[in-house]
Amino acid sequence: MKLFIKFDINTVCSQFLKEKLEERQINYTPLGFGEIELDKNLTSEELDCMKNDLEPFGLEIVENQKSVLVQKIKDAIIEMVFMDENGNNLKSSVYLAEKLNHSYGYLSNIFSEVTYSSIENFIILQKIERAKHLIIINEMSLTEIAFLLNYSSVAHLSTQFKNTTGITPSAFQRIIKKRRENLK
Amino acid sequence: MKLIPNFNSPLALRIIFAISIFILLFITSVSYKHNRDLQNSSKLMMHTYEINIQLERLLSFVKDAETGQRGYIITKNSRFLAPYLFSRDKVNRSFIKLKKLMNDNPKQQQNLKNLFDLIIQRYTYLEGSLKYSNEKTYDKRKLDNCMFGGRIVMENIRFQIDEMNDVEKDILQKRQKIYQSEISLTPIFSIILFLVALSFILLSYRQISNDLNRLKVFNKKLLISTKLMAESEIIGAFSTWQWDMDSDKIVYSDNQYRLLGYPPNSFVPKKETFLEYVHPEDKQAFSSLMQGIIENKQLPLIYYKVIRKNGEIRYFKTIGKLLIDEQGSKIMLGITFDITEEHFQNIAIYERNKELEKSNKELASFNHVASHDLQEPLRKIQTFISRISDDDMNSLSESGKGYILKIGTSAKRMRILIDDLLLFSRTNTTKKEFLKTNITDLLEKAKLELSEIIQEKNAIILADKLPKLHVIPYQIEQLFINLISNSLKYSQPNIAPKINIFCEKITAKEFPDLLEQSIKKYYKITFTDNGMGFDPQFKETIFVLFQRLHTKTDEYPGTGIGLAICKKIVENHKGHIIADSTPNKGSVFTIFLPE
Amino acid sequence: MQKNALHILLADDDEDDRLFFKDAFEEVKIQTKVQFAHDGIELMAHLMHPETILPDILFLDLNMPKKTGKECLIEIKKTEHLKHLIVAIYSTSSSEEDIEDTFIQGANIYIKKPSSFDALKKIINEVVTLNWHYHTSGLNRDTFLLRLK
Repeated sequence: MKLFIKFDINTVCSQFLKEKLEERQINYTPLGFGEIELDKNLTSEELDCMKNDLEPFGLEIVENQKSVLVQKIKDAIIEMVFMDENGNNLKSSVYLAEKLNHSYGYLSNIFSEVTYSSIENFIILQKIERAKHLIIINEMSLTEIAFLLNYSSVAHLSTQFKNTTGITPSAFQRIIKKRRENLK
Repeated sequence: MKLIPNFNSPLALRIIFAISIFILLFITSVSYKHNRDLQNSSKLMMHTYEINIQLERLLSFVKDAETGQRGYIITKNSRFLAPYLFSRDKVNRSFIKLKKLMNDNPKQQQNLKNLFDLIIQRYTYLEGSLKYSNEKTYDKRKLDNCMFGGRIVMENIRFQIDEMNDVEKDILQKRQKIYQSEISLTPIFSIILFLVALSFILLSYRQISNDLNRLKVFNKKLLISTKLMAESEIIGAFSTWQWDMDSDKIVYSDNQYRLLGYPPNSFVPKKETFLEYVHPEDKQAFSSLMQGIIENKQLPLIYYKVIRKNGEIRYFKTIGKLLIDEQGSKIMLGITFDITEEHFQNIAIYERNKELEKSNKELASFNHVASHDLQEPLRKIQTFISRISDDDMNSLSESGKGYILKIGTSAKRMRILIDDLLLFSRTNTTKKEFLKTNITDLLEKAKLELSEIIQEKNAIILADKLPKLHVIPYQIEQLFINLISNSLKYSQPNIAPKINIFCEKITAKEFPDLLEQSIKKYYKITFTDNGMGFDPQFKETIFVLFQRLHTKTDEYPGTGIGLAICKKIVENHKGHIIADSTPNKGSVFTIFLPE
Repeated sequence: MQKNALHILLADDDEDDRLFFKDAFEEVKIQTKVQFAHDGIELMAHLMHPETILPDILFLDLNMPKKTGKECLIEIKKTEHLKHLIVAIYSTSSSEEDIEDTFIQGANIYIKKPSSFDALKKIINEVVTLNWHYHTSGLNRDTFLLRLK
């Protein structure tokens, strides 16, 4: 049997974090964008324990201030891309600047410094990631996907898809389908 | 098709004959009855005449008696008395005869009885007159009475006889009338019946002779077709045989004997002789097959070898079918082919195929060599050149730097050549899967592939609606990519490229020189551009591998392989491609794809 | 950005290619630790060794003696503790069949060996950056496909 699971990564993470922290009886207040405020200061030992707890699940305690901001930018972008209504219509620079209370230029610089890639690239990457997801679910045509992701045309989506992954959307679909058949 | 001609219904013929015979019998019986009637009629006549005569005679006897008596009375000579004396006896005999004759008629008998009474009366008068004329007993009055009474009785007798004669005549006439009508009717009736019977017989004669003629024709045809069959068996190197499964009687066609190397009918085929000629290697398979025939009444296709009388080995193929005729007897009909020639041809073809396969494999391995082994050192040359740092370059002499640059350019060109060569050979070696595809979709894909350069050059591509065809999709896509990119590459400077794609359905007859005529209908798709065009004298050569119309400058890069690939792709689809151009106006590429 | 260096493993029988690869990584901004396997058998032995720290990205040449890259790939994808490795095919071949086939077998990246050092550096940079994004931004690795020319 095969199931497609549609998930919201933010809910998964916050739910998971909640469980882990409650296990250790640490009270906290979520501030959004992966930021939480603890009620008490932890010892370095306790902090290490928590790190070890979260690491196998891909959760990481970000210590550097710039990294924190980059993580916030990323989260904001993901939220923007995966938001179905109108989100994609907003101009991303405006959206990010408003959301994070920093000038876009500043955000862009920090992002490039830390990740060696641009915010624009990261947005494209995420959009393509969403496109991949939609292609695999196979509920929408390419035209509908292009519309949903705010591309001017299928050609535009296909071009960007190919530029980002090196393969066309149809080749991608074919490869994933054959991979699944292979696994059976 | 009717296999057996209809030889007109023996049943109908039989009916015709039965009717004819019946009519003849009827005529015979009618004639017989007719004859009988005639006989009866003459008998009746005789009978009537006889009665008539007898009655006349009776009368004459009475008259004789009267005359004699009268003579005696006059002469008194007893000699005259003799007829009178004898007449009684004669009258008696005559009466007996008449009685016999009138046995069948009660009315006449009554008349006869009356007559008899009258005659007796007459005789009484005669005796009286004789008595009263005698001298001894003479009495004139009484004699006169007797004489007179006698005369009156005589009158009555005559009257009676006439009446009787009339009755007889009446009967005769009536009967004769009946017979007459019968006799006069029968001949007409008989003649009609006879004619009918005759026409029936004639009709059936005609039918029979017709059938005979047809039989003759069919017999001739049968003879010819049997001959032809025998001939065709010889020409086609095959034979037929029949095996009656019930009686185990086997019949070979003449050619079966010949195929086995014997003159026709030189031996009597038996179940056992089947196996005799089979090559030892195939004996086992063959005998199990025979078992199969006997048990399952089936003979599937079998290939085997036989050894002829002269020791020659021939390759045979036999197949059989069980036929059950109307009587329910099972006959295995077999056909045996001598496939020796085909067998050896097949071996030759098989070997040639193997060779082809081998050379195909070699081609594929060439592909591999080209894609890996040839590229590997070339890539390293290029990479090593790229690793020569600026510092290294600076320490070289000017000519040294030039050489390095030239090595780089050559290596780059070699790479393009290898890549294109690969692309070209792949259009032929990769799997050719024909799928029903919407050609418009393929054009869209091609445009998508070229979207960057199309945007960059501000090109306009307008296309008709294209059909759905059985094609190798990626190849047609490649074809479109090559044609469009060719047009874009050779566009006129400062003029936005414009490509018009038209499509129409045409018949092969319209282009007898270009198209394969065995395919009836084609789609003609034309790509018209407004590019720089080319000299029409090169319209054939531009499709030749590595043929370039431009010098090897950076302005128009390429190896001259794109159009060669186009040609190859179109040929893969059993189509055709042509080009034409007016320099500085544009080019037209026309492709024909079978419907 | 990272405390720990990125672990890179290249399986390639060609000495020159290993050299180019090593030099290119040295010039890339990201801190990396590059290891080599000389053929398929050595690669599999290395990966199967319990003490081996698995690489973040495995670069795999297809055309290797003893055991081809494709065989290694299939084996890796069948091995429980290896099947989530990010595998980048690193090959001379540009045949579409090879590309699609290796993707279907589970490769994430297909790199046609470039013919200049700069191109190589650019490609390595791109791969590492993208991989890092996949690593840090919750992207779905199962649908991580990248073809570089």
